[in-house]
Amino acid sequence: MEGMFYSTQEVWTWWIAIYLFLGGLGGAAVVISIMTNMYYRTHKELILWANISSFIMLSVGSLLLFLHLLHHIAVINVLNPMVLINKPDAWISWGTQFIVWMMVWSMVYTFPYLLESPFWSRMPIVGSILKLFGWAGQLSLKFHKIIGWLAIINAVGTVLYTGLLLQSFPAVALWHNPGVPLLFIVSAFSTAFAFLLLVLYLFIDREEDHVIKVFYERTDVILISVELLIIFVFFHFTTYGLESARHTASLLWENMGWIIGFIGFGLLVPFFIELKGVTTGWKSPAPIVLAAVLVLVGGYLLRHYFMYAGVYERPYPAQHEFAPGGHVELDKLQTQKPVSG
Amino acid sequence: MAAHYAMVIDLNTCVGCNACMAACAMENQTPVWANRWRTYVHDLEVTSGFLEDQIRRRFFPRLCNHCDNPPCMSVCPTGATHKLENGIVMVDDDLCMGCRACAMACPYDARFDVTYDDLKEGETFYGSLHFRTSPSVDKCSFCSHRVMRGLKPACVETCVGYSRMFGDLNDPADPVAKIVASGVAKPLMSHLGTRPNVFYISDLERAT
Repeated sequence: MEGMFYSTQEVWTWWIAIYLFLGGLGGAAVVISIMTNMYYRTHKELILWANISSFIMLSVGSLLLFLHLLHHIAVINVLNPMVLINKPDAWISWGTQFIVWMMVWSMVYTFPYLLESPFWSRMPIVGSILKLFGWAGQLSLKFHKIIGWLAIINAVGTVLYTGLLLQSFPAVALWHNPGVPLLFIVSAFSTAFAFLLLVLYLFIDREEDHVIKVFYERTDVILISVELLIIFVFFHFTTYGLESARHTASLLWENMGWIIGFIGFGLLVPFFIELKGVTTGWKSPAPIVLAAVLVLVGGYLLRHYFMYAGVYERPYPAQHEFAPGGHVELDKLQTQKPVSG
Repeated sequence: MAAHYAMVIDLNTCVGCNACMAACAMENQTPVWANRWRTYVHDLEVTSGFLEDQIRRRFFPRLCNHCDNPPCMSVCPTGATHKLENGIVMVDDDLCMGCRACAMACPYDARFDVTYDDLKEGETFYGSLHFRTSPSVDKCSFCSHRVMRGLKPACVETCVGYSRMFGDLNDPADPVAKIVASGVAKPLMSHLGTRPNVFYISDLERAT
């Protein structure tokens, strides 16, 4: 219809970007660490670091979402697993269940290693509590592979959910397309490899992990290059696509935070650092550590700018532009020549 | 056959008196102190006609479009947003946890917050008649509580210019059904596939 207005939203902002970032990173870290442990190299310490970190990340992300709810008690409606039968069309229903069960199964999988770990078993109070549940560790080991796969399936679901959540909003061209879940999956796994490289270099630091580090670095280089290709596709889509996508283009591609911050320092710089690492190698681990930090920052920036650059097209201005104190000046309203019919 | 309720808004006859906003606010106890309304009349200037310098003043009432394919309902994780058999999209305040996914999904920007603070403010503002007990992401309900009693929505009842018309699309004799069938009234952003049940008669097409 004639006289359209274009606006972004102020409903889901930086805190949702953090939630999506931590959800993707935590989910992918569980997948990679358990797969590594089951099928590549047995690595109890990696499992401990990855799965406990993931548990903390998902807790922080979920807490942020919970704090921003309007009606906190009603959250029980979505924590109930029956929600999948009552509301199978809502991705938040699936996402909540994926997150909860991923946290449960990944911790059950980690539990036997927790019991063996001197750090945790000697910790005051925690250690004595752990001793009470020694039987649970034995039980977990008995079904370790099945439990591992249950954690992996829910973790993959969590990663997928972070992209599908945005895709389910039809009014925003930037979000409502199959490229978003794909981009978020690739980004999640890239950030998770970066995070695990940080863990391997800075905290575990064992000589025999060299082969795992090389594998992670190689995979991360491939993932970053795929991410760059997807970003190029989004450049084309927003620049030559629907009208609301074109307004997104002006928000993204004229923004130095997106271009220099995300694409430059979040993708290109770590790509070249890691590429040199897997081809000619580095004498010190410092460049890889730097690259991993940059990938993590880039992973957040991607989601941050995605949340802020989603443009709605409507025949009237957005509500928040009429909020108290939000006086709208006519020259700021974007109008265009009407299109008949 | 069950009724299928719809609204037609004639932009030619809306005079921007805002009586619909006041009637709706009193009927549904919306947090007007925070400038949040179930229906809002925008006072806009738009270019119109073949001459680019031709400026028109336009009053544009907005509300929930009660879509037949409502994205706010499909994204709602708790089932709080649901559709009645008569086509009206409702919100169950007790089920709603206020995640605001519906607000993100709605192409018409029809959803707004009712917070804990608004509940307290409502007790003062609306006095003993205050009925809201839970925070939620609220929206227009076509005044379903009135419609069930055979009444029209408050905004329609109070509209001085007969700009708002409310009726049953399943009744071929209903004036609203006739206007919609004639094609004079069109839905907003039908390309999104939401199949809205609020139709607008354009003021700009008539002017040109």
